[in-house]
Amino acid sequence: MKRMIALGFEGSANKIGVGVVTLDGTILSNPRHTYITPPGHGFLPRETAHHHLQHVLPLIKSALETAQITPEEIDCICYTKGPGMGAPLQVSAVVVRILSQLWKKPIVAVNHCVAHIEMGRVVTGAEDPVVLYVSGGNTQVIAYSEGRYRIFGETIDIAVGNCLDRFARVLTLSNDPSPGYNIEQLAKKGTQFLDLPYAVKGMDATAVEKLKNNECTPADLCYSLQETLFAMLVEITERAMAHCDKKDVLIVGGVGCNERLQDMMRIMCSERGGRLFATDDRYCIDNGAMIAYTGLLAYANGTVTPLEESTFTQRFRTDEVQAIWREKNVSDTNGKVEDGVCS
Amino acid sequence: MDSILSDVTDGVTSSQPWEFSCDLEVDYGTDEYANMVYSALAVDKELQPDKVKRQMSVSEGKLIVHFEAVEARFLRASYSSFLDILTLATKTLEEFGLGMKF
Repeated sequence: MKRMIALGFEGSANKIGVGVVTLDGTILSNPRHTYITPPGHGFLPRETAHHHLQHVLPLIKSALETAQITPEEIDCICYTKGPGMGAPLQVSAVVVRILSQLWKKPIVAVNHCVAHIEMGRVVTGAEDPVVLYVSGGNTQVIAYSEGRYRIFGETIDIAVGNCLDRFARVLTLSNDPSPGYNIEQLAKKGTQFLDLPYAVKGMDATAVEKLKNNECTPADLCYSLQETLFAMLVEITERAMAHCDKKDVLIVGGVGCNERLQDMMRIMCSERGGRLFATDDRYCIDNGAMIAYTGLLAYANGTVTPLEESTFTQRFRTDEVQAIWREKNVSDTNGKVEDGVCS
Repeated sequence: MDSILSDVTDGVTSSQPWEFSCDLEVDYGTDEYANMVYSALAVDKELQPDKVKRQMSVSEGKLIVHFEAVEARFLRASYSSFLDILTLATKTLEEFGLGMKF
C-alpha cells in the first residue's frame, strides 16, 4: 500500500513552519523560521504576519526538497485553523487554499493544541498520558476522555509562557532563540530563592519590584520565577493524574523544552510510579510537521475541510475537536494491536 | 470598469453613506487562475461589514475588486491588508503553478 503523506503549515504565532510527514509519524522534513524581535519587544500581529509572508514560500520549497517528494505524492494539505493571532494565521490559510486548487489536493483544518498533543504522543510513544500543554499562548492540563481531549485545568489570565516572555522583556533579555531559553540559562546562576505570588498574573510585576529595590539579582529572579511557576504546573498536573487515574505525563508546547520543568515533573511522576514523556525544541516548539501529522490522522478517518470552510479563528478550544482517530485507533499502521487505548 | 462588476449588493441601507471607494484589477491571463485567487480570498469576509464592503468578480482572466467604506481610514486598512494577502496568493500561484520544477 502506498504510504500516506501530508504537507502541513503552522503560523499561529511567531514561527512559520512547513512540514512533510507520513501516517506512521515519520517526519520527512520540518523547516521553520522564527520572527525574533529586539530585546524588550514582543511580537505584534501585523509585523508577525509580514514575517510569515516573506518566509512561507521558500519554506515550502525547502520542505518538499528535503522530503524528496513532488506535489503529486501528497494526500492532503493541512493548516492551523486556530487558536492564534488572526493575521499570522491567515498567511497559512491563504497559501493552502491556492495550493489545494493548483495541485487538486484536499484541505484539512487542524487545531493547534491538539496538534501539539498528537506530535508529542507519536514522537515519545506515550499512549494515554495526562498532557501538560504549556506555551506562550496556552497553559492547559489535558487528558483524553470519551472522544475528546478534555481540559482539566488552565490558566485563565495569561499563559505561563507569556508570563516568562513578559519577564524577559522587562530584563531586556534576548529573544534569540527564545525569551524562555534565556531565562532558563540565567536561572542556573540564581542563588537566592525569593517568595513570589502563587499566581501567574502579577507575578512578573512583583518580581520587577524586588529587582528595583535591589533585593536580588536578575538571575535570582529568573530562578525564583521558574521554580514558582513550574511548581504550580506540577501540582495541577498531579491533581489531574489522581483524578483521571493515569500514571504518565506528556509535556508539550514551547515551554515544554525547559529542562528544569522536565526535571521537576519527572520527580513527581517517579514518586507516583509513572513516567514522564517530553520532547526537545524540534517538536515542542511550533512546527509544520505537527499540523501535517494531526491533519493526516483526521484525513485517514475521512475528515476533509471544503475550500469555502477553510477559515481561521483566534479562539478554538482543545475540547471542541472530536478526536476520531483515537476512537478508531487507525494511527497504528504497523498492525500492532494496542490494548487499553481509549480506556 | 465598474460596469463589469457582477456581484450584487444586497439591500444597501440608504442611511449609511459609503462615500469612500476604490477599485483594483489584476490580470492573471486566464479565468482559471483568476478564479483560484477569487476562491482563496472570498473565504475571509471583511471583519467590519458595517464599515467596509468588498465585492469581487472574475472577468476575462482578471480579478476585479471593489471596496466601499464609510471612512477613509477603514478603506485604507482593509485595502492594505487585502493587498498583502492578494500578493501572497499571486506569488504562490507563480511559484507553484505551471512551470514549477524540481
